[in-house]
This record gives sequence, structure tokens and C-alpha cells, in this order.
Amino acid sequence: MKNEPSFDHRPDPELGGVLRAALEPRGDHAAFVARVMAQYERALDRATIPALDILASWFRPGIAVAAAALVAGFLFGRSILTPVRAPAPASIEAAMAPAEGPGGAGLAALVTADDPPDASVVYASLVDQR
Amino acid sequence: MGNSPEDKDLVAQTLSGERDAFGVLVERYAAQARRVARAVLGDPDDADDAAQDGFLSALVKLAQYDARRPFGPWLMRIVANAATDRRRRRTVRRAEPLDTSLVGGGPRPDAAAVRSELGDRLRSALAELPERRRTAVVLFDVEGYSHAEIAGILGIPEGTVRSEVFHARRRLRTLLADWKEQAR
Repeated sequence: MKNEPSFDHRPDPELGGVLRAALEPRGDHAAFVARVMAQYERALDRATIPALDILASWFRPGIAVAAAALVAGFLFGRSILTPVRAPAPASIEAAMAPAEGPGGAGLAALVTADDPPDASVVYASLVDQR
Repeated sequence: MGNSPEDKDLVAQTLSGERDAFGVLVERYAAQARRVARAVLGDPDDADDAAQDGFLSALVKLAQYDARRPFGPWLMRIVANAATDRRRRRTVRRAEPLDTSLVGGGPRPDAAAVRSELGDRLRSALAELPERRRTAVVLFDVEGYSHAEIAGILGIPEGTVRSEVFHARRRLRTLLADWKEQAR
């Protein structure tokens, strides 16, 4: 053992020896091992059951959240993919009427309408002009 | 120092359900775990309870063990934590500091005399050291762990480990020198 206070990076065998003797367990080594092993199954059981409970508790709200996300995603996707249908104009005047602003709604409605204007409305307007 | 390939093999066998493999690990590390726990707690019965808690906790966490690293420091960290937890609970329960009368582990036969007296003195001296300091010196000088391994076990920087070992040694060496002087 060294008496100088400087730090030594190696273990001190003398100090280690007396400390080891001072800390040596009192009881029988084999008895301690048996005591630990007697708790083996119980420790594993205790660890497994709460873990499954936790997983189950996560599972239920997880399913609810996933279902809600699916429904929300479906509705959102449908709203994006479905084109907005402009109402077909009731008459050619309505279709050709000047807009209140540039690029007006009447012309826009005719151009963007999915359904063509009714043919009778178009012919009627031509006959009236003659 | 517990870094033999058998340790990781035993861990793998335990994880595959071989109870006896864990028994070999307990057999191998029991004495060390009990000493480390006793360094933290002082009382040998409490220390055995903590060492047992440590082994069973390690069993439950065995899948988290990284087989590329030595098993001993991983296990000792769990044992030291179990001992510290037990000491905190005991301190709260008793609302008093470590009882040095417990450190000697109860009455001893007179026949043990000289060695026993030194042991009692060392245990008392250890009990007066801060917990981290006495654990560090025991891990270094008794169990032979490196500073880096002790840093991992105690969760502190390596430089702090060196400092703790240095201060603990200074106190214990003084005590040992006094005892030798008296014995002459």
C-alpha cells in the first residue's frame, strides 16, 4: 500500500484485500443463490403481466385514433377529389350576361358548367333575335 | 473481470428460457453484488435484499443488455441502483442517517478479534464516506473495475470517479496506517 496522497491508477491490493474482507457477505453463498432463484418465475411473471396490460391499454385508444384518422382522411380526400359543380345557366341570356366584374360569373358559369345549356333555350334565343 | 464470452452466452440462454443459465450468472456474480450492495447500504441483510432485487431486476431487463459490452458493469449498475433505492426508502422510513451500529453486521464472537476489529473500523470509515465515494473505491480496489467502467456503473464522469477514489483511499489509508501503528 502506498502512503503518498498522489493518485494511483492501479487498484491497491492491500486496501482492496482488507475492504473485501470487511464487506464479505455473512450468509451462505449457496443459500443466497437459491434465494434469488426461488424468485425467478415470480419476477418474470410480475414483469410480463404489467407489460401486457400496458400494451393492451395502448392498443384500445390506438384503434380508436386509427379509425378516426381513416374516416377523416377519407372525407378530406373525397372533398379534394370531387369537382365543384357549377349550376347550369337557366337561359342563354343568363349564360351570356355580362359579369359584374372582369371575367364575370355568367360567362364563367357557361364555360365551367359540366352540363351544356339546354338546346331549346339556345334555339329560342336565336328565333327571338330574328 | 466478468468479460468472458460465457457471460453473453449465459444471457442468450436465459433469454431463450433456460433458467439454469441465469442460475450460473447469479452464482458467478453473487459475492460481488453482495459486497457492492453492502458498500452502499452498510447493513448486510439490507445488502442481500438489494443484491437480490438487483439480480431479479437484471433478469427482467436482460433483453436490454448489449452483448458487445461486459456483463459485470451492466449488472453492477443495476445492483448499485437497487441498493441506492433501498437506502433512500430506508432513510425515509427511519428518517435518520445510516446507522453505523448496523455496519458491523451485529455481534461477533471474540475469537475473530484483530481482523474483526479492523473490519469494523473499515466499515465504520466507509459508512462515514459519501455513498458515491465508498461505492467507487469498492468497485475500483475490491472489484477491480476500471475508472471508465465505474463511471458507467455510477453514471458520473470518469474524472469524478478518479476524484472519489482518491479521497476515499486517503481516508481509508489513514485509518489503516493508524491501525497498523496501534497493532505494533
